[in-house]
Amino acid sequence: MLKVENLHAGYGSSEVLNGVSLHVKPGQVVALIGANGAGKTTTMRAISGMIRPTSGSVLLDGKAAQGMGAARIARIGLAHAPEGRKVFGPLSVEDNLLLGAFSRLPHFFGFHRKAEEELQRVYELFPRLLERRGQAAGTLSGGEQQMLAIARALMAKPKVILLDEPSMGLAPVIVQEVFNIIRRLKDAGITLLLVEQFAKSALEVADYAYVMEHGQIAVEGTPAELNKNDRVLAAYLG
Amino acid sequence: MNIEIIAQMVVSGALMGLVYALIAYGFQLTYATSKSINFGQGELVMLSAFFSLTLLNIGVPYWLMVPGGLLFGAALGLLVERAGVRLALQQKSEGWILLTIILGLLGFSSAENIWGRDDRPFPTPISSDALHVFGINITPLEISVAIGVFAIMGLVELFKRNTLLGKAFEAVSADRDAAELMGISATRTIMLSYGLSGMVAAMAGILISPITTVGPTMASALILKAFAVAVVAGLDSGFGVVLVGIVLGALESLTSFYIGSGWREAPGLVLLILALAVRPNGVFGKATIRKV
Ligand SMILES: Nc1ncnc2c1ncn2[C@@H]1O[C@H](COP(=O)(O)OP(=O)(O)OP(=O)(O)O)[C@@H](O)[C@H]1O
Ligand SMILES: [Mg+2]
Repeated sequence: MLKVENLHAGYGSSEVLNGVSLHVKPGQVVALIGANGAGKTTTMRAISGMIRPTSGSVLLDGKAAQGMGAARIARIGLAHAPEGRKVFGPLSVEDNLLLGAFSRLPHFFGFHRKAEEELQRVYELFPRLLERRGQAAGTLSGGEQQMLAIARALMAKPKVILLDEPSMGLAPVIVQEVFNIIRRLKDAGITLLLVEQFAKSALEVADYAYVMEHGQIAVEGTPAELNKNDRVLAAYLG
Repeated sequence: MNIEIIAQMVVSGALMGLVYALIAYGFQLTYATSKSINFGQGELVMLSAFFSLTLLNIGVPYWLMVPGGLLFGAALGLLVERAGVRLALQQKSEGWILLTIILGLLGFSSAENIWGRDDRPFPTPISSDALHVFGINITPLEISVAIGVFAIMGLVELFKRNTLLGKAFEAVSADRDAAELMGISATRTIMLSYGLSGMVAAMAGILISPITTVGPTMASALILKAFAVAVVAGLDSGFGVVLVGIVLGALESLTSFYIGSGWREAPGLVLLILALAVRPNGVFGKATIRKV
């Protein structure tokens, strides 16, 4: 579904990624873990087109996506819920959700009707968002904003969702809630690439995982394999 | 002091102020999406007025001229975005400041070459016979300015709030990168904002022309005042421009009546200087200071 090969990218002249390869198969949850500054967010950004990779390839459902702008990559079926949530603060919760489906909906009239079914489904998954549908997204709590960022990504009915540190800055209870949601998305057959600081919890939901160090994949394997790897255990799961 | 004279001055000044507000609103539209503005917006107002006048002269009925003039303004806005702004924004430079000033100068000399330097009357079917309302003289023409300003601002706001494209406009204004992740093209949204801004400026030209006449320099003072209004109200303050515009217009007309018509431009400049002194790196920082 998502195949990344030998991806190089960075900011300006400084290269951050030097040859990242990873593979997310349909219906899988794949975790990407690693220390702060390892390049996880940069990997996500290079995949979704927020930054332009200098070389390497990104295949989305067999189609080459590297080098396209972020908007075009989104339109071919990749949703990226970025680090720091980035909800549209002045807009209402519901407007945020509608914009998540921007590329599927008519741009002038009738967009609400056409989005109704998907809205219902998302509200079922996140009842709190239904309660707050008219509220400005910027006034939601951190946890609610994270739910909104995930829900907004779902609205696009994407082929793959990239989820960058959904637990960042949240209280432990809310982190649990976020992981419950991820588990439910997995049960619903959604394909996910998940970046997480909470490596243990991430490995519990994941089908496969990559460990990143200094802009490269250092170790990869199933969670069971990584749990047996002494180096991984010491550095990330201790 | 006669309270009726003061009221009269305030009302007619405020109407002029609404036109400043409308142009300032046009600045806000492009600033919201791109953090850039067209420094040649005054020439855009003037060229649209000339174009509309030409439409009238070749026999286009008044009420068809209005949409024609607005479309022309929108097209000029798109031209400015393409020729003066897009490349600079892509390179994250401030080249758009110089480029839009140059485009304005180009527009000015084109107008002189095409239409000449003389001021020309702008015919309108709307009467300028004064009505007396609570002791104040006001003409239907003046009322039409107010209606026109609110109508076009209202339309743009309705578009922003009620269509998905309008919401996308707001999304790009709030967080450009996140908007791109939704499949919204920031480049196209910026084009849209320049088109709308041009349309709004053309409306200002059409509304003001029957009162001020049309000529190459018709908008040079106007644009300075619109600037002052935009800086004071803030480039991201929504309807704040209306309030500031009305106050500035009223102040100007009181100043010119009580101190002398030569002092007419004084309140706008004082306001601009004050605003820049209070927040020197204010809403558009370097850009404003360079211009002034
Ligand atoms: N916008 C940027 N401009 C320049 N350098 C950046 C930028 N963003 C990240 N970097 C650098 O790239 C490197 C990788 O950062 P990245 O954000 O990808 O790490 P990460 O694995 O997501 O870390 P974290 O766990 O803290 O989120 C870091 O050295 C960082 O300083
Ligand atoms: Mg990160």
